[in-house]
Amino acid sequence: MTREEIKDVVVEIIQDIDEDADMDNLAADQPLRDQLDLDSMDFLDIVMELRKRYKLQIPEADYPELATLDSCVNYLEPLLQAA
Amino acid sequence: MSHTLVIIGAGLSGLAAGIRYARFGHKVIILEKHSIAGGLNSYYYRQGMLLETGLHAMTNYAAPEDKAAPLNRLFRQLKLSRRQLATHEQFSSKILFPGNTSLLFSNDFTLLQEEVARLFPRVIDRFNHLVSVVDDYDPFTPKPRISTRQKLDEFLGDRLLIDMLLWPLMVYGNSEEHDMDFSQFVIMFRSIFQEGMFRPAGTVKDFLNVLIDHYKALGGEIRFKTAVESLKLVGTKVLGVYLESGEFMQVDDVISTAGYPATLGFTGDSALAAPYEGQMSFTEMVYFLTPEARHSLQCDQTIIFYNLAEQFDYCRPLQAVNVDCGVICFPGNFKGLPPDDPFQLRVTHPANYSIWQQADAPQYKWMKEEWGARSRRITGEIIGNYEQNIVYQDSFTPVTIEKFTGKAQGAVYGSPVKLKDGRTAYDNLYVAGTDQGYLGIVGAMLSGVTMINHHILDKI
Repeated sequence: MTREEIKDVVVEIIQDIDEDADMDNLAADQPLRDQLDLDSMDFLDIVMELRKRYKLQIPEADYPELATLDSCVNYLEPLLQAA
Repeated sequence: MSHTLVIIGAGLSGLAAGIRYARFGHKVIILEKHSIAGGLNSYYYRQGMLLETGLHAMTNYAAPEDKAAPLNRLFRQLKLSRRQLATHEQFSSKILFPGNTSLLFSNDFTLLQEEVARLFPRVIDRFNHLVSVVDDYDPFTPKPRISTRQKLDEFLGDRLLIDMLLWPLMVYGNSEEHDMDFSQFVIMFRSIFQEGMFRPAGTVKDFLNVLIDHYKALGGEIRFKTAVESLKLVGTKVLGVYLESGEFMQVDDVISTAGYPATLGFTGDSALAAPYEGQMSFTEMVYFLTPEARHSLQCDQTIIFYNLAEQFDYCRPLQAVNVDCGVICFPGNFKGLPPDDPFQLRVTHPANYSIWQQADAPQYKWMKEEWGARSRRITGEIIGNYEQNIVYQDSFTPVTIEKFTGKAQGAVYGSPVKLKDGRTAYDNLYVAGTDQGYLGIVGAMLSGVTMINHHILDKI
């Protein structure tokens, strides 16, 4: 997947978690948690959805890598190369 | 390969756990002993009318846009649309103590702050400091028990104010007598005073049906009238579930919401149950009143938490019922609801399980009548006499609660000792619901979700 495709996937997953999430005004380099009022339970859902869709096992130690939209893409790019 | 989860009990924690797990496409079966769901928050029919148990008011009110609030976090975790849940907030509620000392509170927390400033002007700064401590406190990380009474003595130092604040919080979810753990206090203070009371638009049956339909749509299976007999164990592992019907089911994980004492029964460890049997139980009277009573009674509050004893103590009473303190609830008093028809009143008092349990049938019947009459005399002094307005009445006791919910000794709030991480002596058996530590409807459901998140999801 390209970086742009990965970004779209993450955005789609977040929108699925929170129907009211304001994705249009999101700063890609700022923490998702603060901008969208998400908590650790919501982050777990992002992880679970990636597991369900791409059989990706993201260890808990790597959760901080999902902090911003940019860092999500950086982290997922090598993992989803073949997807 | 599919990972099979069995959940014991279709109460709110079991349904929430089931929905949470079913979302991820693995096999999940909820086993419910009774013919309907809900556990402590259920319903029954009398005279063709649906009567609710448990649910008078839900705590943890939050507007849909308040994303961080427990109610809305819960809905996101269950993939339920919060916007589709029509909610009705309470009018206001009153805490009434001797000498006609009363504090009002509503879902606007500033009302309680103003009331404390009005009645306890010398301690308002201390009260506000307590609020800031509650705001910054993390009650969910397990830590050694801290006595709430000791903390409140330090923070407030005013016995009357302390008792008045504690009574609603205790009666809405404290399984321990006399005192409560400070983490539990923080959770309850937020749920009731800072977030507030509401109810869903429909009945508890409608609410349960929304959950059951959602669970089934996600592929979850639910079996009613299916009681668990025991668990098949090898070493510290649960291999399967034996049903009372004789059927055997193989499992990968089990979540029990039957309460820890009942769960110990399933593993053959009943001898260890005593410390986990709560002492606090209640009796409740349900009345249908004539429409005229709306005018003759003082019924402008949603709930009145009253105590008339000079020395307030939250404990199992020495007599069958303690009518000196109680909860008077008008279940129709929520904003935006049409006047309820019939006009309903509910009165709840602490009650002594052993006395009710030991009574033979004629005694039991006499006790119900006698304590009902005593309750009406005392509550009639508070809201006005309603004896002549009663069209229909029903009541339940600690024995009724035990029979229908499986909670040992009718202890609605479960064990005084909580298993905060949900773990048991068996590697793949977890408890959720009241004995895990969260209380109230929202709390019980979050308990189910949290146990799935913490213990089951990393196995699939």
